[in-house]
Amino acid sequence: MKRRILVFLSILFFVFSLVLIAQNKVEGESGFVGSEACKDCHEGQYNKFVKSVHGKKAVPGNPANRDGCESCHGPGAQHVEKGGGRGVAIFLFSKKETSTARDSKCLTCHQDMRGVENWNLSKHKSFLVACDNCHSIHSPVPGKSYLKAREPDLCFGCHRNIRALFNKQSHHPIKEEFVGRQALKCSSCHNPMGTFDIKAMIKADSVNDLCYRCHAEKRGPYAFEHPPVPENCLYCHEVHGSNHSRLLTRKVPLLCQSCHNSTGHPSRPYTNLHSFVGTATQNKNRFFARGCLNCHGNIHGSSLVPTFQR
Amino acid sequence: MKTKIIIIAMTICLMPLSYAFPQDNKTIEGEIGVTGVWFDLHGKEGGKAKFTEYRDLREDGAVFGRARLNLDTDKYFLNFNVGDFAYDTQYYTVDGGLWGKFKFDLFYDEIPHNITFDARTPFVGAGHDLLTGTPNPNFPLWNTFDHSILRHQYGGGFKVDAIRPFFLDVSFERENRDGIKPTGAAETSPGGRAFELPEPVEYVTNNLKVSAGYSKKPLFLSLNYIHSDFNNSNSGLFLPSNFNAPNAFSLPPDNTYDKGAFKGAVSLPFNSRFSTNVGFARGRSETSIVDLVGSGYTGKVDNVNYDFTLTSNPVRFLDAKAYYKYYKRFNKSDDPTGVADIFLNYKITTYGAELGVRFPLDFYLSGGYKYVKTERNKRGESDPLEILPFNMDNILFVDLKWSGVDFLEARVGYENFDRDAHYRTADSFANPAKRFSYAAQNRDTVKAALDIFPLENLNLGFEYRYKNTDYSDTVFGLRRDKRHEFDVSADYRIGKIAKVYGYGDYGWIRFNQAQTGGAPPLPWDGDQWDKTWGYGIGAEVYVIPKKLTLIFQHDYVKSNGSVDFALNNGLFVAASGLGPGSGANNDNIDISRWDDYTLYSLSIKAVYNFTKSLAAMIGYAYERFSYSDAQLNNYLFAPAGPPNSNAAFLTGAYKDQTYRANVVFGGVTYKF
Repeated sequence: MKRRILVFLSILFFVFSLVLIAQNKVEGESGFVGSEACKDCHEGQYNKFVKSVHGKKAVPGNPANRDGCESCHGPGAQHVEKGGGRGVAIFLFSKKETSTARDSKCLTCHQDMRGVENWNLSKHKSFLVACDNCHSIHSPVPGKSYLKAREPDLCFGCHRNIRALFNKQSHHPIKEEFVGRQALKCSSCHNPMGTFDIKAMIKADSVNDLCYRCHAEKRGPYAFEHPPVPENCLYCHEVHGSNHSRLLTRKVPLLCQSCHNSTGHPSRPYTNLHSFVGTATQNKNRFFARGCLNCHGNIHGSSLVPTFQR
Repeated sequence: MKTKIIIIAMTICLMPLSYAFPQDNKTIEGEIGVTGVWFDLHGKEGGKAKFTEYRDLREDGAVFGRARLNLDTDKYFLNFNVGDFAYDTQYYTVDGGLWGKFKFDLFYDEIPHNITFDARTPFVGAGHDLLTGTPNPNFPLWNTFDHSILRHQYGGGFKVDAIRPFFLDVSFERENRDGIKPTGAAETSPGGRAFELPEPVEYVTNNLKVSAGYSKKPLFLSLNYIHSDFNNSNSGLFLPSNFNAPNAFSLPPDNTYDKGAFKGAVSLPFNSRFSTNVGFARGRSETSIVDLVGSGYTGKVDNVNYDFTLTSNPVRFLDAKAYYKYYKRFNKSDDPTGVADIFLNYKITTYGAELGVRFPLDFYLSGGYKYVKTERNKRGESDPLEILPFNMDNILFVDLKWSGVDFLEARVGYENFDRDAHYRTADSFANPAKRFSYAAQNRDTVKAALDIFPLENLNLGFEYRYKNTDYSDTVFGLRRDKRHEFDVSADYRIGKIAKVYGYGDYGWIRFNQAQTGGAPPLPWDGDQWDKTWGYGIGAEVYVIPKKLTLIFQHDYVKSNGSVDFALNNGLFVAASGLGPGSGANNDNIDISRWDDYTLYSLSIKAVYNFTKSLAAMIGYAYERFSYSDAQLNNYLFAPAGPPNSNAAFLTGAYKDQTYRANVVFGGVTYKF
């Protein structure tokens, strides 16, 4: 049995090796015309390339030190011979090329770059999102990352449901127009190039580790812990945006009653009649204003009492 | 202020450095701009704060200045960017470096978070750690203050590129946070009067990050260290004598956090890669306010994390991924008086695999399975009812993407999340009340999206999501969470004349929860509805190409929330506040205003370029936020009630958030 498995694996290895050799066949060295030739027809793009970081000869391994425009677009001799034209005998970063083909052009140089080391883990890669879907060398918006549009608009282009959440009244300040320097960006919390958090690509080992970076006061550890708090902030908060203040997933007291629901005063119904002008005769301070938080102000943890009232 | 001076002084010192290098291909460009904003704001204290939630516009008008300077050569670069001088949104950044050798950056910025202006308290000392005075309900005589926090962040860092393939990144930042936020404490417990209080915020947080390693295919190795310390100037908010002991409200304790991690990746045959992340972190806290056994409390929590991932693309049409993660939190804090009963420990073990296959005709099918086991316990567990369950999650998902034609891309996806809750005692298993964060649940998620590009200059996008979560074993607690979301977007460029764009969103959420309350306990349930819809349209019209541009934007969001209650008749009793005197019945207890709001904004702006360097802009904006909520409407600072039962002393936090504002703005920009 072992022998058969060994033979099978050897055949599998041989077949894959052939496939890999076929895929990685090296293009001919000839056919390069030089960037000056490109400039004759594409002066605008050429000038932007020269001014970009790709055009800096001081950066080792840069296109400026290699084949210029042809480092990314491939040899241009045939393109020139055929009189040019969009995509004629030249590599274009367009939908006609697969995401893998486009990525591989960038990764030729960027595979050793800091920040790209986890691209193989990225959900974007799994969903066939290529580098040029978000980045543009020739017409980026101002900034260091050569993005096609500013955050969050770039991200909202695909993540429409997240845009809808950020439009809600309670949200983190990522789209405020009057704030000169964006206090927060999507990339403050997420790394679109991939992290070990394969689904949400957050920049931390856990949700709470991420939140504590800005909300260090919630980190504790507290003498009296409210068990869901140190486990996951998202049990109670919708971090992208909510109709309810303080980014709460549901409104207090019903949020609290989702867990505290069978004994004592948390189990009682607090209704419209418990409002400031409602006719309920008792327990109104558990509903109006900030509800449960009127008394249990230290809901994230307390150093004094287990009921979070001090 | 000292920090700003340091950053500006450093920049001035750095500028002459530019002459220390060869002057080849030197580019200097920059921009100076000034924008004046005048507005007419109608709203009460809460509305004024909501209008300026993250901005500094507290006067009738404001003048914002900004400047940018970029110096770029073949060898080095230096960028200087400042704005909103002297306002609470001011920012100053400097970054530069030698291309291929190193980069550095320095920054200072501020951002406010305004909650409610002119809040009130019957006590003296808002903003400090000692409240004094005797509460009385005559609120017009109370002291006023703002629920508002200002963050100042500053720091810098550098990255060394010259030692490639080795690298070194170091960054440091400090955040000072000052202000007041609302909190609350019961005067007595249980059942005392509620006192909303002004909590002083005087925090300083320092964060240091160091990362060093090696990055050259096939190997990536890095060692990372993070140190963070949080310091609170106030250990507690000391309360007047009418509060029962303990006569203080504890504030977040000072804490430190240290983390070391190793991250590595190695490329393997068959286009595969193995990646790992191994980290250990320790958090400590210390507070002087607590004196449980005659000595202070010291908190200590350790976190351990391991990630191992193998990815492979052996052939062009196949993507595969397998992963394992282990995360543990272990609370090792002091246990002076048995408080450890609520020290939470947990460990989460995750593993899974994903596979993506490209089929002919540009179909891409991907799917996977993930298993998550969460084991949690409270140190010194004693109450069998309160023993937390373990969770076992089985998650299956599949996605199909088709991009067979140039003008269309379609995606559909399905995920099933099945959570099993293992209650470790007969009592906790038998308890019909389940906590939603741990309860068994089954969730189905369906997603569908369509992107159409019928023309090169026209993009249309449609998306729908359905999510239904059933908490199958829950009799009392959250039982169902059901959602529908529709989102559309479009943008169209009309040659060189204009660009128009728009979007629309609709969200529908229904939560159902059942409770049992009263003595003897009787059932009741509530359906909470959250409906939101919004749209936005905008246009950029190039009236005179490269000279005059008109920009128009209109956004609208409307939220409609409600709660439908169904109470057992036995709950219409005095203990619930719904006795005969209240006139309550199942027809008049529902909540129809539940964070209802309408957000309407409109802006029109004209930008005129006099020359390539000089541009002027003028515009008008209208913003309206209408807010209505059962908990905050008809707000009373000192609502009356039987003594020591239902009266409260409130500060006005989140009250009267409605506002309406007309804004006129204009400015000039000079580029060089």
